[in-house]
Amino acid sequence: MSALVSDVGTRTAVAAEDLVKVYGKGDTAVRALDGVSVTFQAGRFTAIMGPSGSGKSTLMHCLAGLDNVDGGKVHVGGTEITALGDKDLTKLRRDRVGFVFQAFNLLPTLTAEANILLGLELAGRKPDREWFDTIVDVLGLRDRLKHKPSELSGGQQQRVACARALVARPDVVFADEPTGNLDSRSGAEVLDFLRMSVRKLGQTVIMVTHDPVAASYADRVVLLADGRPAGEIDSPTTDSVLSALKHLGA
Amino acid sequence: MLRTIIAGLRARTARLVLSSVAIALGVAFVTGTLVLGDAMNASLRDEFAKGARNVDVSVTVSGDSSDVDGISPETLAAIRQAPGVAGADPRGSQAVPVLTANGKAKPAWAVSLPTNEKLREFDLADGRYPTSADEIAVDKRTAATAKLTIGQPVVLLGKEEKRHTYTLVGTYQQGTNTMSLSGYDHVGLTPEAFQALEPERPPYQVVATAAAGFTQQQVVDNVRKAIDAKAFTVQSGEELTQETLARVESQSGEFTALLLAFALIALVVAAMVIYNTFTILVAQRTRELALMRCVGASRGQVFRGVLAEALVMGLTASVIGLFGGIGVSALLQRVILSFGGAGEGVVYLPVSVTTVLAAFAVGTLVTVLAAVLPARKATRVAPVAALRSQPDSGEEVARTGVVRALTAVLFTVIGVGAVVFGMSMDDEDAAMVVSGAGTMALLAAVLVLGPLLVGPVNRVLGVLPRALFGVPAKLASANAGRNPKRTAATTAALMIGVTIVALVTVVANSAKETANAQIDERMPADYTVTSSVYDRPLPKELATQLAAVPEVAKVAPTTVVYGEREYLTGIPRDAIGDLFRPTVTSGSLADLVDGTVAVNADYVKRRNVSVGSMLTIRPEKGEEQQLKVVAVIEGQRLSDGVMTMETSQRFPQAAEGYDSILVKLKDGVANGRAAVERVTDPSPLALLDSAAETKEQLNQQLNQVLTFIWALIGLAVLIALFGIANTLTLSVLERTRESALLRALGLTRGQLRLMLVIESVLMALMGAAIGLLLGIGFGWVITEALSTDTISVDLIVPFGQIGVMLAGAVVAAVVAAALPARRAARTSVVAGMAEA
Ligand SMILES: Nc1ncnc2c1ncn2[C@@H]1O[C@H](COP(=O)(O)OP(=O)(O)OP(=O)(O)O)[C@@H](O)[C@H]1O
Ligand SMILES: [Mg+2]
Repeated sequence: MSALVSDVGTRTAVAAEDLVKVYGKGDTAVRALDGVSVTFQAGRFTAIMGPSGSGKSTLMHCLAGLDNVDGGKVHVGGTEITALGDKDLTKLRRDRVGFVFQAFNLLPTLTAEANILLGLELAGRKPDREWFDTIVDVLGLRDRLKHKPSELSGGQQQRVACARALVARPDVVFADEPTGNLDSRSGAEVLDFLRMSVRKLGQTVIMVTHDPVAASYADRVVLLADGRPAGEIDSPTTDSVLSALKHLGA
Repeated sequence: MLRTIIAGLRARTARLVLSSVAIALGVAFVTGTLVLGDAMNASLRDEFAKGARNVDVSVTVSGDSSDVDGISPETLAAIRQAPGVAGADPRGSQAVPVLTANGKAKPAWAVSLPTNEKLREFDLADGRYPTSADEIAVDKRTAATAKLTIGQPVVLLGKEEKRHTYTLVGTYQQGTNTMSLSGYDHVGLTPEAFQALEPERPPYQVVATAAAGFTQQQVVDNVRKAIDAKAFTVQSGEELTQETLARVESQSGEFTALLLAFALIALVVAAMVIYNTFTILVAQRTRELALMRCVGASRGQVFRGVLAEALVMGLTASVIGLFGGIGVSALLQRVILSFGGAGEGVVYLPVSVTTVLAAFAVGTLVTVLAAVLPARKATRVAPVAALRSQPDSGEEVARTGVVRALTAVLFTVIGVGAVVFGMSMDDEDAAMVVSGAGTMALLAAVLVLGPLLVGPVNRVLGVLPRALFGVPAKLASANAGRNPKRTAATTAALMIGVTIVALVTVVANSAKETANAQIDERMPADYTVTSSVYDRPLPKELATQLAAVPEVAKVAPTTVVYGEREYLTGIPRDAIGDLFRPTVTSGSLADLVDGTVAVNADYVKRRNVSVGSMLTIRPEKGEEQQLKVVAVIEGQRLSDGVMTMETSQRFPQAAEGYDSILVKLKDGVANGRAAVERVTDPSPLALLDSAAETKEQLNQQLNQVLTFIWALIGLAVLIALFGIANTLTLSVLERTRESALLRALGLTRGQLRLMLVIESVLMALMGAAIGLLLGIGFGWVITEALSTDTISVDLIVPFGQIGVMLAGAVVAAVVAAALPARRAARTSVVAGMAEA
């Protein structure tokens, strides 16, 4: 534990230690996470992969403080979030974590611009205009800012979600199958942007995905099976990911 | 299909129960009203049945015979001697003040108690019936309020203040007949004693009971033969009963109609809430319904499915509402009985077939009808909707329909037309009805325009919360405006309730202020002495006695003269300009001498007279008089005009005594009131009033009426608030994912709750604000319509009460949001995201 803590704050953005998450009770209990220890370095793009039901989404929810755990610890940027109450978790999400979900990322009542700035506004922070412009231009959203989500395509909606996740410069961005609903071209745009935000802007991104092609954009792949870590791949390619998954029996 | 419906009902129990509450409340109100109406009829019928019990023959003076003005003792004897008559007694009643324990007169009705036991209308409560002319029995309630006990003397104040003293020997239960409903006190005398109160007026009716072995018809025929059949109407007991019942029903029918009007409002409000609920339920189930269409359900099946759900809900709610309504009726009867001052009385709960049918018609039919449109919409759900990723029920974003705009214009034109026409009418009753109908058309126009108003009103109302609460308020405001049709339908119910409450309150307060202003002008002096009994003037010596009191600076008696189309005040010449100071607009009060009159500006307009005209006054008693108009005055609403005391003495009515005596105290005297009371206390009729006390009394009465109306409309408002809670709950369920997303982005639980509370408050304020504006506007229309004639009613907006209403709406909205907000905040982020 001491080794881990000393690491935190220098190079580690997010760390999980012996994480356990159980759904249900008695006979029907499911150990969705069964002793997962894993670290995610700052400034890197990590993909979490594994067969369906292996606990990827659960892990991400626990890492992001969206769900409570039944055992183990999670550190985000030096803070042990498993010890925090709802108020502090909320504050953590506001200030230090960004999210991109598979769908329903945006509030239908707000324009694209208002959606992008929503997190900052909740935190009561002034947006950095220059940074905002950079993100909007990189994502090609300039002429869509005044539109409501219902007037945007699926790919555009996901790009707006990415912009919102990044505009607050969080310690880490979590993305759960951000390209799951997109065609390959729109998916590639979103992935390109996430990779660029890591390489050029120094962001930390943790992404859950099913898609080996999507995983190949990452710097590293963490594999899960039956709620336990099942290996890692550095500098993954589509092929290396595919063969690793085949090996897991997915 | 049936299994799917049942499964659907089970899965949505919570939502359906919530919606059923709105229906049940509506049903409860309608049945409550009907049961109450039936109960009033039943109790009145009971009471009148008492009056007609054992009466086999009734003899009254026939209306078209002018030479007989009553039933003479000879005629009575003839009736008594007719074959088959077991007993006969005169019946009659007259207004005679009774002196209470403190020596003050109190208006009361004296009745002649039959000597024949079978013919007695009242049941003895205590003691016995009077048997001699110096004995008296009084109604139980009167005995209590006037503090009279058996064995004590009771004094009735006859004509010319003649005191008649009797010994109280018993009390009886008057029950709930017409007089007790209006709260009159009541005393009973033997026929001889009753006759002695007004010897010159013989009885008007004699009732008789048949001896054993005679039929009603035989006795009727025998009585007819015994007396001059042309001068009298002889009826059988049966006919008398029928006649009385017909009268009773037309009386209580008016009250039932009033209650039904309120029930109708509650019903309209409930129907809107139900309609709205179903629209939302169907919108939320777009996906589910589309899925059913995907797996092969036909349009008809989907339609019938939604209707079947409504039917089940309506039936359940009707049953609950029916029983609730019976409870409401019992409660209202208690309230009415307590207003009567008695605090006791029988609560009747007759449940007729009509009531049961009405309950089910309202609860079930209205629910099913309200569900038809949403059900039709459900059939139009395309099967592909099941496959769409983002189901947003905001699909019905207001189509700014031309039809909608045209309908609104039509209603506006009708409304404005009726209002303008009504205000120009002379007869204030008709004016009120026409203008009132016009305002309701305008209300309909606003209702139709609702969805178009939501946007702008929401923006205006949202400014303050946005400035105060930041992001949650901004989100709340966006939510309130996201589906204008839904918001409009939700707030419309509240709007109707508030419009009517505000309207009634404004009109009542305007009337109250107008009356208060009248009192101020009527009572320029420190004290005013008036008569406690209507049409019994004050004795003239009283003015002389008051003038002799050392503390009194000045005394001015007034008289009143009723003409055919006006009433005028007589006042001593030297009080004009002193205790009586009107503003003169033309002519001069210096010219007000014998045979002249100064009239009010209102009256001038109404009767088209001017200075110099001759007025012909035709009083009820005495000869007509010609008076010359010498001045037009303003700022006194004492009456239509004034004349000098001497002029008024030409009228017998004014010569009898004084209508009031104005008393002005010397400057700086202490205990002025006590000094005046030393003179007024011994006089049974004299009532000492200061303007403040009179106002207080009047305001109390008006407030009572207002409270009753607030309570009635309160139910409609309650249903409307349920509608808001309902919509909010359904919206929260619909937006589970959205709430989860907001929480993921950093909205705290508290902020999420705050957001929903603000959304609720915004909706409530939208309804309340528009309702208040309309209500005040309509109130102005009605006061204008009312003031066309005799007096001008000024518009008074009771800001205090309106503030209370607004604050109430805000508090209620917060309460309405409590459950949905709790629910939304409790859902965990992950669970919320997983929601389909
Ligand atoms: N709310 C829940 N209640 C009970 N069991 C759950 C719940 N959520 C997840 N699980 C179980 O936990 C395990 C892990 O689920 P999780 O959603 O993390 O899987 P996943 O790897 O994200 O799968 P997929 O690739 O299909 O999204 C599964 O076996 C699932 O059935
Ligand atoms: Mg998953």
